[in-house]
Amino acid sequence: MKSLLIAMKDMKIQLKDRKQLVLMLLMPIVLTAILGTALKGVLDSGEAPKTVLGLYNQDHHEVTEGFIDSVLQSKEMKSSLELKIVRSEKQLKGFLEGGKIDAGLVLPDQWGASLVAGKSVGALIYQGSGKEINAAFVQQLTDTYAKSVQTVSGSTTFAVTNLVMQAKQAGESFNPEKPAKQIAAAAAGAIANTNYIEDVPVGNKSVSAMQYYAAAMAAMFLLFNAMNGGKSFHIERGTETLARLMATPTTSGAILRGKFLGTWFIALLQFLVFMIVTHYVLAVDWGSNVWQTLILAFAYSFAVAGLSMVVAAFTKSERAADAIGSVGVQVFAILGGSMLPIASFPEILRNISKVTPNSWALTSFVDIMGGSATWNSLLLPVFVMIGMGLCAAAIGVWHLRVKY
Amino acid sequence: MLKVENIKKSYQQKEIVKGITLEVEKGEAFGLLGPNGAGKSTAISMICGLVPYDDGEILVDGLSVKKRPMDIKRKIGLVPQDIALYPTMSALDNLLFWGKMYGLKGPDAKSRANEILEMVGLEDRRKEQIQTFSGGMKRRINIGAALMHEPELLIMDEPTVGIDPQSRNHILETVKSLNKAGMTIIYTSHYMEEVEYLCNRIAILDHGEVIASGTTQELDAQLAGGTILRMEVEQYTEDFLNQIESLNGVEQVNAESNQQLNILLKEDQKTMTEIIRLSVENNITIREFKREEANLESLFLKLTGRTLRD
Repeated sequence: MKSLLIAMKDMKIQLKDRKQLVLMLLMPIVLTAILGTALKGVLDSGEAPKTVLGLYNQDHHEVTEGFIDSVLQSKEMKSSLELKIVRSEKQLKGFLEGGKIDAGLVLPDQWGASLVAGKSVGALIYQGSGKEINAAFVQQLTDTYAKSVQTVSGSTTFAVTNLVMQAKQAGESFNPEKPAKQIAAAAAGAIANTNYIEDVPVGNKSVSAMQYYAAAMAAMFLLFNAMNGGKSFHIERGTETLARLMATPTTSGAILRGKFLGTWFIALLQFLVFMIVTHYVLAVDWGSNVWQTLILAFAYSFAVAGLSMVVAAFTKSERAADAIGSVGVQVFAILGGSMLPIASFPEILRNISKVTPNSWALTSFVDIMGGSATWNSLLLPVFVMIGMGLCAAAIGVWHLRVKY
Repeated sequence: MLKVENIKKSYQQKEIVKGITLEVEKGEAFGLLGPNGAGKSTAISMICGLVPYDDGEILVDGLSVKKRPMDIKRKIGLVPQDIALYPTMSALDNLLFWGKMYGLKGPDAKSRANEILEMVGLEDRRKEQIQTFSGGMKRRINIGAALMHEPELLIMDEPTVGIDPQSRNHILETVKSLNKAGMTIIYTSHYMEEVEYLCNRIAILDHGEVIASGTTQELDAQLAGGTILRMEVEQYTEDFLNQIESLNGVEQVNAESNQQLNILLKEDQKTMTEIIRLSVENNITIREFKREEANLESLFLKLTGRTLRD
């Protein structure tokens, strides 16, 4: 109960601090708008990410072979795509789990024929952990090729049918095979020259630059609460309110819990306000399952609150907490993908980024936005972030108790 | 109400409190007097259970601070030396928060906060943020916060530092009336006139020790009617100091600075004439020559050779 009183008091103080409100709410919204708009071109139609693609092909139709030869193994794709042919779907999944490939593509039997017939037997795309952009890239290639073939096939059929009709009306005999082949060849050339990178879809929906940066800014600016939580300890110590709290019949455990809860609640509130404002003002779609987003925010805020205890414990003054917190937020933000998408990082940095809670949060927010997140797939990030929060809080509390 | 038995405290192998023994009766106003660094705040922190003591025992209403800290904290109201309030919260919200931390519930806390605001004369500014208040007003709310739970023992650590005379008087009168109403008060200050005005009994602390204690009359008696003479001269010499010290009516000479001398006199008129004579003979220009009646300050000077504000 007293912990809640302390937490509510901390929230009240933060909400009355206009400077903090600007930093914590207005800044991320403005930055989302700026980055989402300015980097739209880079993220939505920029250079393709380097991707190792595992391919399991069950189809031997010439359209399918054309896709593999003219698109996936084309000269233009060489710098972006490395193809690994596998013998089975099981092997493909194994490669994904082992991190040998970034994404997997299964082209089912009759895929090519179905495209020519104007129908579609869907190709299956598998995504490696943390490889949303790579999977999105492969999906975009496949979709664009499929649409192109369907369009060309439809127009070839239409053109040849017209030629046959006209020849019949003129009383001439007409062999459609030759013009059909010429049209198909011309169309195939056009398909091969098509720009396949137009959008960045993840899962079954596209994630726009605005969406990505909304999630990135939320992940980054929530981190400032770790710094603010740590600072509030030093402020209370400096003004003797901490001593006064200790002079009340309140245990030190309840005071520490109160400080933790205060940071947790503030971070959650910040996220909620940010999510609502970006949704209504910047039209950011946070995904179809709001509960997934909220659970994730809950876990991420918990991790941030844990970090605030570490900042409080391992800094000596408000200024030190400010300095270390600011640098820490920036390092975490860069590592966690808030500045540049994690997918564009080299392998080693991608692995290092996993030690940051914001990397887990951002990846999962993007998954939810893209519709590829399931409750099962969110379990790991949620548990990792709660675990990080618990460990950080335990270290912080232990050190604070030793210190004071 | 409070029994402090030979408590000791060391920080980094330096003994800060060297064995303080005190007893404060229920309903008494007890003064702790001493210069900065005398150990007053540390002693208070130990009584409030904020700092553990290394040796000795502190009993509040018969309960050991070490064994029953939570029960003791409910009985004590602490007014810290600094303004321990939340500046961006209103006066009312601050009082409500501190009241609730002592277990007061919604309506009770609210009515008590209104009582306190009236008591400290700030009821018309209840909704204003503390940061908009003057130093004196902040001090009054600082005291009010300690009174929310109607403590049996009110401990005030230098509650009038840096405030205007009007607020100071208001605080002194409030403390006086609280004491009259039966509240036990421990008042620490280095303003001896405040302690003399408020307290029945006084302990003088220096270097972590009680160097004198008793009622104001008992302490005055230790001076046996002595007088303090404050002299400001242009420049004195060692020889001049020795000559003054050798006078029969002089108990002690303390050179506060190159120009300031504090002289404790056993006899009054005759000795002062002698001092003036010596000044003329030694060619010492006197800028100021002020005689003060015996008080706690002169007692402190007698005991330590320093002034309380040193």
